[in-house]
Amino acid sequence: MKKYIKIILFVFVITFTSCEKDNFDAPNALLKGQINYEGTPISVRSNSAEFELWQDGYALDEFIPVFIAQDGSYSVSLFDGEYKMVRKGGDPWLPQLNDTINIQVNGNTQYDVTVTPYFYIQNENFENVGNTINATFQINKVVEESNLQAINIVLGKSKLIDQNINDFSEEINLDQINLGSPSTVSIDIPDNLIGLEFLYIRIGVDSSSSNELIYTNVQRIDL
Amino acid sequence: MKKYKITGLILIAFLFIVSCDNEDWLERDPKNIITDEQLWNDPQLIQSLLANYYDRLPSMHGVFNSGGMTEIDDAMWSGHFDQNWRNDFQYGNDYGRYWDYTFIRDINLALDNLNEFSTEIDANQKSLFTAELRFIRAFVYFEMVKRMGGVPLVTEQLVYDFNGDPEYLQVPRAKEYEVYDFIYNELEEIKDSLEGNNGSQTRANTFTALALESRAMLYAASIAKYNNLMDTPITLSGEEVGIPVEKADDYYEKSLTASQTILESGGYSLYNENPDKKVNFYEMLMSKNNSEVIFAKDFETSLKTHFFAFENMPRSITEDNEYPSNLTPSLNLVESFKYLDGSDGDLNITGTDGQPIVYDNLTDIFENKDARLYGTVIYPGTNFKSVPVDIQAGVADWGDSGYEFFAAQDLGARYEDGGLWTGYDGPQNNAQFVTNTGFYIRKFLSEASGASLRGVASENWWPWFRLGEIYLNAAEAAFELNQAGVAKNYINTLRERAGFPANSLENITIDDIRGERRVELAFEDHRFFDMKRWRIAHEIWDGNENNENAVVYGLYPYRIVRPGHPDNNKYIFTKIRPTRFRRARLFRLANYYSSIDQAVLNNNPKLIRNPFH
Repeated sequence: MKKYIKIILFVFVITFTSCEKDNFDAPNALLKGQINYEGTPISVRSNSAEFELWQDGYALDEFIPVFIAQDGSYSVSLFDGEYKMVRKGGDPWLPQLNDTINIQVNGNTQYDVTVTPYFYIQNENFENVGNTINATFQINKVVEESNLQAINIVLGKSKLIDQNINDFSEEINLDQINLGSPSTVSIDIPDNLIGLEFLYIRIGVDSSSSNELIYTNVQRIDL
Repeated sequence: MKKYKITGLILIAFLFIVSCDNEDWLERDPKNIITDEQLWNDPQLIQSLLANYYDRLPSMHGVFNSGGMTEIDDAMWSGHFDQNWRNDFQYGNDYGRYWDYTFIRDINLALDNLNEFSTEIDANQKSLFTAELRFIRAFVYFEMVKRMGGVPLVTEQLVYDFNGDPEYLQVPRAKEYEVYDFIYNELEEIKDSLEGNNGSQTRANTFTALALESRAMLYAASIAKYNNLMDTPITLSGEEVGIPVEKADDYYEKSLTASQTILESGGYSLYNENPDKKVNFYEMLMSKNNSEVIFAKDFETSLKTHFFAFENMPRSITEDNEYPSNLTPSLNLVESFKYLDGSDGDLNITGTDGQPIVYDNLTDIFENKDARLYGTVIYPGTNFKSVPVDIQAGVADWGDSGYEFFAAQDLGARYEDGGLWTGYDGPQNNAQFVTNTGFYIRKFLSEASGASLRGVASENWWPWFRLGEIYLNAAEAAFELNQAGVAKNYINTLRERAGFPANSLENITIDDIRGERRVELAFEDHRFFDMKRWRIAHEIWDGNENNENAVVYGLYPYRIVRPGHPDNNKYIFTKIRPTRFRRARLFRLANYYSSIDQAVLNNNPKLIRNPFH
């Protein structure tokens, strides 16, 4: 019996000491924030836009991809330390590859990233009248060389909508739009969406400089 | 006893003395290793090494890659559900990544060894082998540059000398145009040495080199031109990606010169053996040793086969017991074939009153289409292997005031009026191993007995280069060089072979040339790269579910059931979006150049990442 106690004790000791050796700490800090332009939050297509996060001081250089949610927020689990964030190309804003943002991550850190979109939409407001929706919004140009290519109003039954995933999308005639001043357009709700209690809606603007659209945040309208 | 010992000792001593003398007897060539001296002095052995290298020539959606062919807008996947991701994906950052320096090293090593060890073979033969290896290397570099942009140009073995500093082995990326220039210069240098292979269609000869030159220079030229027409050209500051616009004309001229040399003095001609233009186009790729194919990858039953017919044979005709009908062409592709009177290819499905148009026969809707449609696609009402392909989605039963559509659960079932309900070959929506679009592929599909049987498989060859493409390359280059008249003649010649009347086009636009390229070269591993070099891939495949070009559609024929009415047993068609096609094709700017693998970047810190990656 005495022998067994010894063995059990031995196993206990082994179990408790070895745990120390091979376990790494999980990332304990959270970096999060919101994409904005001059304080206006910017929204994107889900699963499209990305930042790169780099950390110096290691032998191999590999970035951590930072995925941006549909509403323009992001969050990433990290270790404390100093990171560099890069706004790379392919998104509806100017790539700023040489203008790196230094971020000191310490515990939970909030960092709102400012980007320069080619266009942005503000003061959007949607109103449901009968079977039409009146949309009021203002589109502003930011980057001079960029041209307005298309404006789409996107409707959907679920909250996750964009130009690629939607139940209905209507392209707005660009003649109706004056850049920098409010415009109102009305669209008819298609037959397959009539009679629902509510719909989700957002506006997307396509510029000639990027093949990703920039959006307003998704709004719910009650019908 | 003593006597025996002494005798034994003497004998042993004697053996030692005798055997020591004969060293030749111990010196033997190994029976299982071929030494460099043996290999590089035996033309037969060098040829079998070359066969291995020819076999490794890279392609993307080519060489009977049924799966790859269903990843663009020409077709969708109707095979096993577990590969339905091909209908439900977006091109990833690494889509099309190709970085094969193992192969490059093998070629460089072979070139060095050929130079070093080949002392006994004929000088002409030696220079022919050298030129073939350099052709293969140029081919591989072309495949890399069109997918990755400028890549490190390595033309000799990289051997580490153990001095502790591997930096001299880290070759940086060349500029994109430097790689194209390298390809051009290599091909120009070797084209005369390849003369010994002229007449061969499976080994590189002078005109194969020129054909590669024609294609590569056209790619370089269109990147130079169209990249810079984008609002935000895709470039890197070191020009690893992006070609300066002023180089465009030079590249177009080089491409045109190469094309014209092949057309004028290559001795090739467009295949025109069968007076039935439709069958003629199909036969052009199926009958070997014809005058059109410049360079092909050959297959032979019992030696080396491929499974294209096994994978894609229409369901009711396949000889095997499972997995048919994977690749099914899209309505978009079918409609891109124009009518012989020159009008647009859109099919007349519904009339101006919004009602479906009634056709007497299934094939009537495809009447007067470009003959290449028949040669490329099996559409309803046509035969394959002299057997009718049974394509009918269901019946349109005229109730009281309009058609009601019914499709059978079981393929080949009979409707209540005794007539056919749903054909043995579908189409059936949301099913596997039967077409979901209403079409099957005919191009490359072998009619040979046993071709769709796994144990036998197909032996039709894969055309790397054929004269039809050279006509199109020449036309495009000429058009871009403001020689529209020349371009028009090339296109019209090609269209005549497809059943159009002589001089069918009077004025030519770049869209005509691009349209011709799509229909002539469908499934031949061109479209993805054409879309890229014209820089329109992100507009055509924009991921928008409402964009007709980005979504794959199908066409379902229905038999009318309306007893007593003249329309009874006639056909109407409906355009549908197959349920299995889940997501519109989405090509992002990041897909113009694939990302470089992280492990490669780790190994060579001098490499620059591609834009957007």
